[in-house]
Amino acid sequence: MKQKTVTCGLAASVIAIVAACAALAAALIPPWVAAAVLVAAFPVLVLSLGLWWRAPGGEEDIPFIGY
Amino acid sequence: MIEYLVFAAVFGLLLLGIHRKVIARIQIRPGPPIWQEILHALKFSFKSTWVPKTASSALFVAVVLVGIGIWSAALFVVLAGESILILFAIYMLHKIVEHGYGLSSGSPYGKFGGVRSVISAASEIPLFVTIAAIYLFTGSLILRDITAYQDIHGPLLLIAPPVALAMYIVILSKMPYGPFSIVESKELVSGYKTEHFGAWRAGLAVTDGLKTFVLLYAFVAIFIGAVPFWAALIIMTAVLISLSFVCAVTPMLSPFDSVTVQGIITGLMLIYAGCLWWVMS
Repeated sequence: MKQKTVTCGLAASVIAIVAACAALAAALIPPWVAAAVLVAAFPVLVLSLGLWWRAPGGEEDIPFIGY
Repeated sequence: MIEYLVFAAVFGLLLLGIHRKVIARIQIRPGPPIWQEILHALKFSFKSTWVPKTASSALFVAVVLVGIGIWSAALFVVLAGESILILFAIYMLHKIVEHGYGLSSGSPYGKFGGVRSVISAASEIPLFVTIAAIYLFTGSLILRDITAYQDIHGPLLLIAPPVALAMYIVILSKMPYGPFSIVESKELVSGYKTEHFGAWRAGLAVTDGLKTFVLLYAFVAIFIGAVPFWAALIIMTAVLISLSFVCAVTPMLSPFDSVTVQGIITGLMLIYAGCLWWVMS
């Protein structure tokens, strides 16, 4: 996956989570809306963070498919 | 709210680390440190990561996102005291996600794990009996109402122990190294997880952490009732240690035996729920 795509995903998820938490704290949105945003953004944050700081990758490979 | 997700994932991974430690001590091995699963999740985050050539790229990545997403949603459902039907629907979705992990990889080991996930759907059937029996007692499936019922009548664990046992077995079937853990048994390398490595595996670890936390927290809320959060964490740990004992002293069943045993348990629970309905109506 391209580094630019990963960085965009990471930035978008961080912005969405911060915005949802801030809006909830300011009582601008109900809790279920904030929860919905988090449910969508948290998985992207976890994966993007991992892909963003991962070690340099090798080439795609074919899994072991048996003898 | 993000703090709830992070705490649940980390505490769930810590519980899985305790699970491994307890099993090891019972089997007279030193075992890994209890924070090993947390370290695993971090380690996998730093690993080289790519999508295997044989994989369906979109599905390969999407199932990891969906896995974390559904258990994040389950956490909010439980914390908000909403309907346990939603929680159990999410539990059923997890079965589809497991299947997706295996089938998306293009590896025969992953595929076998995914197929076993489907045939072990019998482990989810006691959930329906649990739901029915809870409704017979409390007249509601909203978690808030169930805890309110327990405030008046006492814990459902004492009122209907077989129902608690059914959910206990459902949680047991999701624990690693347990008698029903056929979806990731060692003859399949890591089962449906085999080809998800690096950051993908870190995502899987977060899913497992959230899932463990949610299932144990839901068990406490449904069968013990409203307790302070710190007390819930202690009870969850105690329930987990009891699960670890079961896992340590029982062999992993073959897929056929696993489904048979779960089917028998479901049959017994159906008889119990039928008797309950007949007595109460």
